[in-house]
Amino acid sequence: MNRASMIPLVLCVRSGASFASFRLETEPQRTVLDLLERLRADDERVPAYRHSCHHGSCGTCGAVISGLPSLMCLTTAADLSAPRPRRPGGPAVDPERDSGGAVIVTLEPLARMSVVSGIAVRPGPVFAGIPRDASYLAAADDSGRSPLPPDPAGARVGQGNVGSGHEGDSWRPIGRARFEACIECGLCVAACPVSLPFIGPAALAAVNRERQKRPERAAAMLAIAAAPDGVEPCGRFLACSRVCPQAVYPGKHIQLLRNVLADGQR
Amino acid sequence: MFDQVAAKPNRIRVCIIGGGGTGAAVAYDLSLRGFSVMLLERGELTSGTTGRHHGQLHSGARYAVGDRAIARECMEEALVLRRIVPDAIEYNGGVFVAIDDEEADRAPSFIAACLESGIPAREVPVAEARSWEPAINPVARRTVWVPDGSFDAFRLPLSFFAAARDLGATIRPFTEAVGLEVSGGRARAVVAWAAGDSSEERIECDYVVSASGAWAGAVGALAGLDVPITPAPGTLVAVRSRVSDMVLSRLSLPGDGDIIVPQRGLSIIGTTQRVALDPDCLIPHDDDTAFLLARADELAPGFSSNAIHAVWSAARPLSGRAIDDGRNLSRDFMVLDHSADGVAGMATLTGGKATVLRAMAEKAADRVCSEFGIDEPCRTRNFVLPSWRDWYAEAGL
Repeated sequence: MNRASMIPLVLCVRSGASFASFRLETEPQRTVLDLLERLRADDERVPAYRHSCHHGSCGTCGAVISGLPSLMCLTTAADLSAPRPRRPGGPAVDPERDSGGAVIVTLEPLARMSVVSGIAVRPGPVFAGIPRDASYLAAADDSGRSPLPPDPAGARVGQGNVGSGHEGDSWRPIGRARFEACIECGLCVAACPVSLPFIGPAALAAVNRERQKRPERAAAMLAIAAAPDGVEPCGRFLACSRVCPQAVYPGKHIQLLRNVLADGQR
Repeated sequence: MFDQVAAKPNRIRVCIIGGGGTGAAVAYDLSLRGFSVMLLERGELTSGTTGRHHGQLHSGARYAVGDRAIARECMEEALVLRRIVPDAIEYNGGVFVAIDDEEADRAPSFIAACLESGIPAREVPVAEARSWEPAINPVARRTVWVPDGSFDAFRLPLSFFAAARDLGATIRPFTEAVGLEVSGGRARAVVAWAAGDSSEERIECDYVVSASGAWAGAVGALAGLDVPITPAPGTLVAVRSRVSDMVLSRLSLPGDGDIIVPQRGLSIIGTTQRVALDPDCLIPHDDDTAFLLARADELAPGFSSNAIHAVWSAARPLSGRAIDDGRNLSRDFMVLDHSADGVAGMATLTGGKATVLRAMAEKAADRVCSEFGIDEPCRTRNFVLPSWRDWYAEAGL
């Protein structure tokens, strides 16, 4: 790596009432998570942080990175040294630099969540409003491809061995299956400025997806959306959609729920 | 619901070190058999290796030619997981693709090995395979259907954690085992440090299970043990396109860059394999990225034209000591009892793969049961697990 392309950074990681600061130089493609892992391996006392998949699939490594809720595994040194919004929907501005020219990066825990330690949070508020049995599988678009072959007998999942009471708990689409796009990272929940009791954008996105996928569950899902802590408190700020790393756009799902509820009242 | 599942408590205290997929399954299995379980993980759950793997639910086809027993076990376990954690699995099957003559010549022995291992592989015309997944290289010589799938490497183990906790297990993320007390030739307690705490705590226990994967060497060293383990990191690259719903593999001997696994809107090409001394801080090798993308293009032309979403690295925990890149080491797992090394009351799980996490746990729990003369059968095949969402939705998390 060419020396000139190295990016000097100061990582300021929230630790209780103060920040722990680390100065380093990095290749532009390294992610914030890579940098924390490198510091920790070097025996630095790095405040605690959550991580698991390192590729934007598990949704654990959310943090407020220099003002913007983001996933640490998908935010690179290059991103941080370029103009970037300081809040959801804000204008992109040049990064703050110290007197030596190093980019100052602050890492803080996601708002609305209780802190375990450092920037590691308990994401309970993200999950609290998601219907317990909302399916996580969805139909994958076949794009004109042939149907997948059925399993031969030897690879079929038996029905007989499962403990009692589980029939119907799990739902899967007929044909090609994939996971929902939402990775339940909670960036939308952390970014949402609503201060009234509100089940929040992640839960409402899940509610709308469940309604769309399973018509038999539509009435139950609309009842959740129509409750006082359902779609009503949403002020259409769209911070949720702006920070979503998966293009789920929770604001769109909230609007779709509103439309259906309004149609029902006419 | 899972709430109706109950265990007969036996008051024997087991401390599990390591909160990856294996630790999750051991915690669940031991809890079902009535043990009093405490699990320690130094970071977030599944933050070591488990969460980072590409999420292939192995039918076992990849291993069939080399080791029928491993292949058979993968097939059995894949079917169990599809039954007990259905929501965490994208099951769409898979295709092994022979690109050149050498690979095409392997097809008959590959299929025979699969069938001998209980894997219902079957050759299909290339045109048929390409009608399912047009991304498959049109120059393909032969194509074989296998019951592969992909799973969410984070959510699937979290369901095991949720189940273990429902049965009374204490699961403690952000709590690192920093010491192991051995006296009179027996492990007596684990010394733990919780992130943010000013002091350490001593956790007395009757048995210790090290389920620390690639970190088993470091955990064993806490008790003065020399655990033969080889951390074997590999690089993975995810691109922003779901090039197929089926898992695509090369019909070659297992090597580098020969599997494409779909996951949500991404496709993951894996993997490379090196040997590392220290499983901490695995920064991907930049050379690996170009290599993996080129290999992916051989399976699915155009793969590399998609935007790169992420490049990362994960450390396989291979049993034994490696020669060269460690492919001399089996992907099998073993339960190492340390009484012969002067530390009774402790076992280490080494090796293995995510697909067989439940089987690894069964063997480890059998070991613990025999130590204490507990006659409880393994029941982890029997119940559909609670949702991973339960893990975080519960109060206090």
